[in-house]
Amino acid sequence: MSAACPPQSPAVAKTEVVVDGWCPLLAATFAYWDNILGPRVRHIWAPKGQGSLLLSDGEVTFLANHTLNGEILRSAESGAVDVKFFVLAEKGVIIVSLIFDGELKGDKNTCALSIILPQAELGFYLPLHSVCVERLKHIVRKGRIRMQKVCGLPRLFLPPEQKPSRLCILIGPILTLVGLLSVWQGYNIISTLTSEIVPIMELLSSMKTHNVPEEVDIKDTVLNDDDIGDSCHEDFLHKSISSHLQTCGCSVVVGSNPDKVNKIVLTLCLFLTPTERKCSRLCRAEGSFKYDTGLFVQGLLKDSTGSFVLPYRQVLYSPYPSTHIDVDINTVKQMPPCHEHTYHQRRYMRAELAALWRATSEDDISSDNLFNAQDSFTPDLNIFQDVMHKDTLVKSFIDEVFLLKPGLSLRSVYLSHFLLVLHRKALTLLRYIEDETQKGKKPFRSLRNMKTDLDLTVEGDLSIVMAMAEKLRAGLHYFVFGKPFFTSVQERDLLMNF
Amino acid sequence: MIGSPDVVAFTKDDDFGDSYTDPCLLPAEFSVPLFPHAANANPWTKTSYAKFSKDFILISEFSEQVGPQPLLTIPDDPRVCGTFDLNYFSLRIMSVDYQASFVGHPPGCSYPKLNFVEDSKVVLGDSKEGAFAYVHHLTLYDLEARGFVRPFCMAYISADERKIMQQFQQLSSGFSKASESLKSGNRKAFANELEKKLQDLEYTRTVLHKETELQKMNNGCYSTQVIEKANELANVEKSIYEHKDLLRQIMSYPNKKMDTDYVQYEPEKPVETNMVDHTFSSTHSISRDKCVETDNASQQLSYTPQLIKAKSAKCFDKRLKTLEELCDSNFFHQTMDHLNLIEKTFRGDLCFIYTSQIDWALLSKQKISSFLFEEERHGEEEENSRNLYDTDHNPHIALPSLSNLSGEPMSLESYATCVEIGHHKLELESMEGPPESSTSDITQETSEEAVDTETKGSFSSDRSIEALGNISPANPNGFVRRSTNEVCTVTLSEQQGEILPGAAPDKMSPSLGYKLDVYTADMFETENLVQIDTACCIGQDGFIYEEPLPVPVQQCCEDTVVKQEPLSLLQGDPALQVDYIFGESGLPLGPSMGLMLPEESTSVHSEEMARMNIEDVSDCTSYMSTSTSSDRAGSPFTYGSLITVKQKKKAGNSALRFIRQYPFAQQAIFCVLSGQTLVVLGAEEGTVRKLVNALSIFVPNLGKYGETVQPWLTTSFQLTDLQRWKLIGLQRVASPAGSSMLHSLSRYSRYIGILDCDNKTLRCHPYRGTVLGHMADHRTQIKRGSTYYLHVQSMLTQLAAKAFLYTFCHHVHLPINTDDQGSVELRRTNFLLQLGYTEEESKIIQFLSELIKQNFFQWPLKGLSQSVFSFSYTTSVLYKI
Repeated sequence: MSAACPPQSPAVAKTEVVVDGWCPLLAATFAYWDNILGPRVRHIWAPKGQGSLLLSDGEVTFLANHTLNGEILRSAESGAVDVKFFVLAEKGVIIVSLIFDGELKGDKNTCALSIILPQAELGFYLPLHSVCVERLKHIVRKGRIRMQKVCGLPRLFLPPEQKPSRLCILIGPILTLVGLLSVWQGYNIISTLTSEIVPIMELLSSMKTHNVPEEVDIKDTVLNDDDIGDSCHEDFLHKSISSHLQTCGCSVVVGSNPDKVNKIVLTLCLFLTPTERKCSRLCRAEGSFKYDTGLFVQGLLKDSTGSFVLPYRQVLYSPYPSTHIDVDINTVKQMPPCHEHTYHQRRYMRAELAALWRATSEDDISSDNLFNAQDSFTPDLNIFQDVMHKDTLVKSFIDEVFLLKPGLSLRSVYLSHFLLVLHRKALTLLRYIEDETQKGKKPFRSLRNMKTDLDLTVEGDLSIVMAMAEKLRAGLHYFVFGKPFFTSVQERDLLMNF
Repeated sequence: MIGSPDVVAFTKDDDFGDSYTDPCLLPAEFSVPLFPHAANANPWTKTSYAKFSKDFILISEFSEQVGPQPLLTIPDDPRVCGTFDLNYFSLRIMSVDYQASFVGHPPGCSYPKLNFVEDSKVVLGDSKEGAFAYVHHLTLYDLEARGFVRPFCMAYISADERKIMQQFQQLSSGFSKASESLKSGNRKAFANELEKKLQDLEYTRTVLHKETELQKMNNGCYSTQVIEKANELANVEKSIYEHKDLLRQIMSYPNKKMDTDYVQYEPEKPVETNMVDHTFSSTHSISRDKCVETDNASQQLSYTPQLIKAKSAKCFDKRLKTLEELCDSNFFHQTMDHLNLIEKTFRGDLCFIYTSQIDWALLSKQKISSFLFEEERHGEEEENSRNLYDTDHNPHIALPSLSNLSGEPMSLESYATCVEIGHHKLELESMEGPPESSTSDITQETSEEAVDTETKGSFSSDRSIEALGNISPANPNGFVRRSTNEVCTVTLSEQQGEILPGAAPDKMSPSLGYKLDVYTADMFETENLVQIDTACCIGQDGFIYEEPLPVPVQQCCEDTVVKQEPLSLLQGDPALQVDYIFGESGLPLGPSMGLMLPEESTSVHSEEMARMNIEDVSDCTSYMSTSTSSDRAGSPFTYGSLITVKQKKKAGNSALRFIRQYPFAQQAIFCVLSGQTLVVLGAEEGTVRKLVNALSIFVPNLGKYGETVQPWLTTSFQLTDLQRWKLIGLQRVASPAGSSMLHSLSRYSRYIGILDCDNKTLRCHPYRGTVLGHMADHRTQIKRGSTYYLHVQSMLTQLAAKAFLYTFCHHVHLPINTDDQGSVELRRTNFLLQLGYTEEESKIIQFLSELIKQNFFQWPLKGLSQSVFSFSYTTSVLYKI
């Protein structure tokens, strides 16, 4: 294979990442389209001592170069990050590439950030695809700003209306010539990308060992108890499942006892689809994992002091709001519904990117300094709140399922009935809204009628079904509840400014 | 106090900030929008700005003459692609092909080697155009092409990026099959072409040889002409060698790359490789291909070798073969069929496709109760869902294998046979249709006439269904026909509100003899016949079957407390099933039952039989019922054909109209759900059929073919008919026969509800409760029938779940001691009350529970008899509009 590869550039830098356990990722690469030389690989990340067993650096370079194939024709909106996904049976690999425009050496270039996995991991990777892509997309956004900043360093000393590109063309080589390469390398996209690629390697590695199986045996869950309340308090179980469903099946379970945590994790996973389960993680008994954005359910172990600190930013960047369940003290807290969550998330992202844009040095970009720089944004750190809405759907299910004899498959079948009802209600609700609004052409004004017609008058029931519908049609919450919410936020902000 | 209108006034942007742009402000291209949807966008818009109207499949080629070019689209309708630039997109998708890097001449080899390149799959998009694609790259062989390869790709193009990624494995699997079919056909065609070329070369060599010899004799050995001829001959020799090698290569297509099914049909008789010319087209054994094979054979035999130049000039003006020419035509058409199937399968909105897949996965876990309200799924739809949810599903991952190219060359005969058979292994499973997209809903529901027209004339066989008499899909073992007097005597049970199972499990003896009766009903006809009571069957003078009487439900309940989990739950262990059937249930099943497979064989058999019976009798002339009207609009289902979700959704339209027009709709639905037969009486066939259509979605255990509904009956019915038909459309006739019909209606009024669509009245037992209020509220704001159907479906699923719970709650049904029967009854009543059901609603649950029990005990005999007869002594009430 190596013989067929083009000669490898000696300048390709490589970072070997030490990952705990086996990492299914063969390599990650950053390539760009050089306007003279064509596709070039700038950086390779590989798990230490693992990736090279299957792919040599030459092959990685060959594959990475080809992720830019055809991108000379790219006609994307400015700032867009497009995703390409390759399954190359001939090479036995899958490649995920994020294609974007960025400024390198003063020129606009098409760049590709790619991760390469063995083809045998296709089934493992696919459920995690959107998690990886969303996280990489955001780091690319930050990386683009950094790339711009490197070229645009002199911008700070120029009037704003002056275009920096010509100056960059001049300054770039000069910087190189005068030996300021260290500035370039230290303050460039690679370090930014590294900050997310390493966690993704760790995520994939942890998922390899601790992911929830596609099919959960009800015997490993609370639902197999002889009676309700055997493992955990009745109301706690009800609240946990109800809130879990209200937050689109996203939950963080923390506790000191790994078995207890995992039992709740598996119980919650019963209410997910097989694909979502493959995107959930059990807790590790020998020291906790870090919180990972984007997983559906994850178990986390408290430290010796009996606490676990959730990173605000990562929790907020999750695609859906989360439920926080503490199995030690039996508390259930939840984040606000999807439309509010998305609003807060976007505001935080914008603040973060704006702070990065305004930062004048590497030190300014640490998360601690971020919000000092952005005075207008004050994050609401109290994002987990009590479960406000009671429901009847989960309540009656919990009451009834324990009437069935445990140990047999009766409870599993009854659970499948329950899930079928929820999925069908979600689809019905979606169709109802589609019909009412002519597929979004008109605003939705018949919430009360919908609740009556679809027997969703109890707020908790509506929240559950809306959350399931949100997963089918992203943005539904915002469409239904967004405008009143935003108006109220505007009013609140204005009143606070008085 | 400051109110919000006062505050909002301050929110207006002033004009001062427009002229100055803060350099520290993050430019939009580096930021993210604050809201997920811009000004006029909404959750549905992301799929609507594409320039094509719906998903389609595009086949493109990287032509060596003109570069990337689109070849064809599926569906082949220019309106689908709209103004979407196919040329540009072909260029885009072909330019990402990795395969180009893997083919070519190996270094150190003077002539090209065929490289069996694995297909590559790419997902990419053009966010500006709003087009995203799954692209399947493949390479076909062409003797005329540069390097003998022609790169092609098949792309599934959609405006929804999420759809492509979420359905990636299904798409990949589907396109891999299509690609394999195309490549198999191509290898066959390529081999044929090579053979012809070899024949030409052999012929040319012979001619040249003769000419050389002749010139040698005439001009001597060293003349210029002789030398030229000798060179030419050498070139031909070389060419023959190369082509033979190519033929050997194409025949040595590694077995491992073919599906195992391809290989296992290899003929036993070994065939010599050098005999391929004569055997290539003569070993095809599949009758389906006989025509094609004959053509091939005749082509082979009739082919006349031609004198050719040793090296054909590769000119840009030569015509390249079309895709169809590159493949065996049969393979090509099969591939196109398969691609059409893929297009249909993935047509529509992702959320419907996805929910349908989830539905299937969940329903497969609840077979014990899913028969109540779920239509049977079949064909590709099921296959697709299985692919997604089957944990053992192994997507078409072809890992590179070093041994791929080390396979022994196959003979052309075996090669061709394998290819042929493999080709036929690509099953094109029938499918019900794609999950309904909202777009199609609009068309469907805005033109109700179209719907009606669609269903018109679909009841060609129902008029004769009654002639079946003793063999019907619902009761193929011959339904009960006894004199009315006898039946009434038996059913006068002391308890009110009883449910009578048509065949109580403990009274059934489904032995092999029983089965034989079913199959050979005609043979035993005369022995089982009894004279019917003409008093209750005016106009009927035939003979009917005698069968054991229905047994009161009380007995059934006592004996059929479900103490075990359903058999369906134990599917993993057939032995366990059989053990349970014989060991614990106490069912006196015959020993011959042990010979039967627990589930599949019988169910399949019975399904086939049901279909067969309907088909058999469809040609018979009915003497029991005659349909005189040609107006068959609003028919729910085509009798004898599978009931589909689409049909049910259409029925939802009628149901929505029904609940809006009839304030007593809840009572009618209660009648149907609680197991009482509802008779829709009317003079006009169309109106009756529409009402039957509307109510049919509420009928529990409707049957795979809608056996429990009789949409149009023109003569009186019997008590036994009530056992198998739960919804009957009855013609009102102003004649002596009509008066007898009314007489029978009044006689059976205890067991039936009567919806008179001429007078707009309903006579049935009263209903009090809230459950049906949610299901059939005449003030509902639901706008579309299909949405209403979804709502009904979810409510019915809830009912089925409660019925399951009620059935399998052990403590409710088990007596604490032997004299505890009274308290069991009380416990049951209290249980249902605790679930929040009224007395009437409890009857629904009890009826559904009886059906589940019956289905549970008859699992091995699924489809033979599932009728439960329900009646009540409660006074009927007449409802009017």
